[in-house]
Formats: sequence, C-alpha cells, structure tokens
Amino acid sequence: MEKQLSSSESLALITEMIQKAKKEAAGDGSFQLLLWGWVITLCNFGHYFLAKSRYEMPYIVWLAVIPALGWSFAHEFKKRKASRIKTHLDDLLGQLWVAVFGGMVIVLAFMPALAFRHNPVILLLAAVGVFVTGAIIKDNSVKLGGLVLFLGSIIGFLLPVDEQYLVAGIAMVFGYLVPGYLLKNKFKSRV
Amino acid sequence: MFKPLDPLLHSQLRLAIMSLLIGLEEADFTFIKEKTESTAGNLSVQLDKLEKAGYISIEKSFKGKRPLTTCKITSTGVKAFEEYVENLKNYIS
Repeated sequence: MEKQLSSSESLALITEMIQKAKKEAAGDGSFQLLLWGWVITLCNFGHYFLAKSRYEMPYIVWLAVIPALGWSFAHEFKKRKASRIKTHLDDLLGQLWVAVFGGMVIVLAFMPALAFRHNPVILLLAAVGVFVTGAIIKDNSVKLGGLVLFLGSIIGFLLPVDEQYLVAGIAMVFGYLVPGYLLKNKFKSRV
Repeated sequence: MFKPLDPLLHSQLRLAIMSLLIGLEEADFTFIKEKTESTAGNLSVQLDKLEKAGYISIEKSFKGKRPLTTCKITSTGVKAFEEYVENLKNYIS
C-alpha cells in the first residue's frame, strides 16, 4: 500500500529531495582551481626569479604544465566516470573551460606575434573563466577571484615582460588559490 | 476551483523520484535508492510506472561488469511535475 500524502507533506518532500540533489550536484569543485592555482603561481614566480637571476632559459619552469594537464584531465575523467549523477551545469562548466583553454592555446601559439607579452592576455582569459564559473556555481568568492585576475591583467599590460610574471603569480594566489581553498572549506562544512 | 492532483505523482516514492530528477540531467539507480531511502524492489516498480507514463526515460547499460540503470526526466515529466506543484499551491494557499 502506498502512503497517501497531504499537501504540506508533498511540499516538504519536494523541497527535501531538491535539496538532496542540489547538495550532491554541487560537489567539491575546488580541485581544478587548486591544481592550476598552485602550478601556474609557482611557474610565474619561478619564471620571474629565474629571469631576475639572469638565467638563460627562465621559461623552462613552464614544463610543469605538461604533467599538470595530464593530472587535470585524468581527475576530470575519473570524477565523471565515478559520478552517480549528471547535471546541466557540469556540461556548461566543461565547455566553458574547453573554450578558455582553446583561447589560451591560440594565444600561446602566437607568443612571438605578441612580442611575448602574452601573460596578461592569458590572465584575461582565465579571468573570464573564473568569473563565469563563479556566476554559474553562485559563489561570490570565485567571482571575486575572477575580478582579481582582470585587475592583474590590467596591471600586467602596464609593466615590462618580466614583471608581468610577478603580477600574474600574485593574481593567481588571489584569483585561484584563495577562492579554491574557500570553496574546499565550504564543501567540507556542507557535507 | 481545485484541480485534482496527478495520482501518479501524488505518492511518496514517485514524487521523491521526480523531485530528485527535476534538478538533474540524469541520475543512476543507486543514487535514487540512497536518497529516497527505498528498497530496490519498490523503486524498480515505481520507476517502471513513471517510465510507462512517459515521465522519465530509463537507460540500461554496463559500468565495467556491473549493470547500470540511468534515469532521466522527460519533457512530459517536467510538465507534469510543474502542473502538480502549481495545483499543490492552490491546495495550500
């Protein structure tokens, strides 16, 4: 025999289930922000300090991006495979970052055409990605991170190439790492 | 004038299933079972009823060697759910 519901019981059940789905759908979401936050922050600072110490190939530090790319894709693939639900937002976020990544690859392919002043452009693309991600997941700290990256890009455009790396490193700390850790803590307190 | 509530949705487990699926693109059987705190047998029966009404679509596949049942709300299901909530509001207010 099925249990008959009163109107208010129905409403309470709907609300409870929507909340349960929402909680599961929100996920942690901080992994990519933290991974890329750490890698790009360290690469930027590394490049800056190597360039300042007159090392011939300061750009060598950017090789760290290659294993990070592998880790990032592997984590995403594993997460999606293990996930028991799929949301509309997952696809939207995935496509946003594929577009941002595509833009970055194009900019990096034309570094000589930009006289190697590509760093603020990369920051600008990251700013769009982080800001829109914040808007999609409705998290103001992530949106604020996007704004910091916009600011970092503006400052970067006004500086010589080497100093752009220092600014980008600082912008990554406040644009990726701080919102990443805030997001992680919010997730911990939610589950 | 009160419209009668859709009897297919006005049942605890079926309403719980639809409420879960309304906010998701798709969810697998184990997720629905866990969140609705139902038994596998009862859940299968109710999912079958919802599928026959065209409210959800069910896809059976394999995840490795394990069978995987994925449920998705259809546009008919979304419409029925919205109508149910709309009618429910009339009963409450």
